[in-house]
Amino acid sequence: MKIFLVGFVLRRVRSNLRQLFWTHMLTAGTMAMTLFVFGGFMLLETNLQGLLKGWGDQIQIIGYLKNGLAAHEIQTLVKRVEAMPEVQRVRHITQEQAWRDFQSALGHQSGLLDGLPREILPASVEILLKPAQRDGPVVAQLADRLKQENGIASVEYPQEWVERLGLAVLAVEWIKWILGGVLFLATFFIVGSTVKLAVLARKDEVEIMQLVGASEALIQAPFVIEGMIQGLAAATISIGGLWLVYVLIQNELPSMGGLLGALGELQFLNLNSLALLLVIGWLLGAAGSVISLRRFVRSWNASSART
Amino acid sequence: MIQLFHLSKTYPPNHRALINITLEIAQGEFVFVAGASGAGKSTLLKLLFREEEPSEGQILIDGRNVTRLGSRGVARLRRKIGLVFQEFKLLPGITALENVALAAEVLGRSKRESRTKAYQLLRELGLKDRYDAKPLALSAGEQQRVAIARALINDPRLILADEPTGNLDAEVADEIMRLLFKMRDRGTTILIATHDLGMIARYGTRVLSLQRGMLTDWSGRTAAEGGRR
Repeated sequence: MKIFLVGFVLRRVRSNLRQLFWTHMLTAGTMAMTLFVFGGFMLLETNLQGLLKGWGDQIQIIGYLKNGLAAHEIQTLVKRVEAMPEVQRVRHITQEQAWRDFQSALGHQSGLLDGLPREILPASVEILLKPAQRDGPVVAQLADRLKQENGIASVEYPQEWVERLGLAVLAVEWIKWILGGVLFLATFFIVGSTVKLAVLARKDEVEIMQLVGASEALIQAPFVIEGMIQGLAAATISIGGLWLVYVLIQNELPSMGGLLGALGELQFLNLNSLALLLVIGWLLGAAGSVISLRRFVRSWNASSART
Repeated sequence: MIQLFHLSKTYPPNHRALINITLEIAQGEFVFVAGASGAGKSTLLKLLFREEEPSEGQILIDGRNVTRLGSRGVARLRRKIGLVFQEFKLLPGITALENVALAAEVLGRSKRESRTKAYQLLRELGLKDRYDAKPLALSAGEQQRVAIARALINDPRLILADEPTGNLDAEVADEIMRLLFKMRDRGTTILIATHDLGMIARYGTRVLSLQRGMLTDWSGRTAAEGGRR
């Protein structure tokens, strides 16, 4: 394409955007909503993964000790466990320590413990795993080995919760792509309809351009560029919306309980995710325009040839 | 310049718009395509600028077979042809100058160059004071002159005009015809479809007469009956 044609195409784009401003805005808004929903799932996934990682960092196995173990037996046990390759650190919690921890956890309701013998809570060892060993199967295998230890009565670890959260992340990822796919498809057709409106609004101009020998690429380029601009604008709007939601939730987070409260601090989408949203918006606009134009111009040529 | 060999066009289901047309038009010729409505004049022109594809036969323009062309080929062909229509086909939202310049801009000429040439043509066609008027503010004759300027801006070797004076009164029609003859004198081949026998008689150039899709002579005999035209 000659350099002057670039200027020509850009002038067409500007004039078309002005001519059908509200139609383009409406389409960009619809695309923005689709991208917002998709981006929302990305945000949720990012934060659930963050939560999962945070929990993973805190994964520890608790081995409850049998009553009546001598101090040297406990020491030997701790050393043996510390020597295991998956283990980063072992902390011995005495019955006394366990009692105090429980008391402080109950806070002002610690009076409930009055009259109970202090030996009711067993001594235990808290085993923190090395970061690379915090996978579900490794934790389960280690827990099984610990159960074989003579001094250990029972073993507990929060594997079920970790697995559930892992499944939740996977579900969010799947929902993101399935719902995103459906929404993208719908948006794709909406973009196509806008292109049709734009072509119809400039039908005479397109016809004259065809009659004077303009190439198909030149005729179609303004519409495709408009689609790309729409897509990029929509992605930018959706990112803005997501940022707003992120800031609002972040501000409310301290007063929230449950899962959200456990997050402590939310993460926003990283640069890769933001770039992905922009690329999806751009592609959605461009592909919607190109495919719709091809179909539309083909049917138009066929109908004009019949008349 | 133009060679047609056994050219036919049939529209579904079975309407034969052109039947077995064979003819030759030399560079710089001025030719009328005459015939009543439905005789096939417009179809012949549409086949030449490839808005339509022939059902049978061959079309050669400047020795190049243009019978079957893809969209790129059609675009390239049309760059050599200036088209003038009865209904002018001007864009109402832009000025006369912009309408003319558009045809040059789409072929890659700069905006400035296109507008300068458009202005020169409009001045030559007597519209130097009307160049910034929008088509609806122009008379029919002025609009047709703008359309002719647009057809000329890319220096075509061939001008195809479909009833170019159909919407004009006699005086303006003559003015338009004089302009087209002037183009012929510069070496452009002109092919005009018209049903106005009076005009044909006035100008007395070569006439291709069509009747129900067949090439005939003035007596209504077909080319096969009357020999090669």
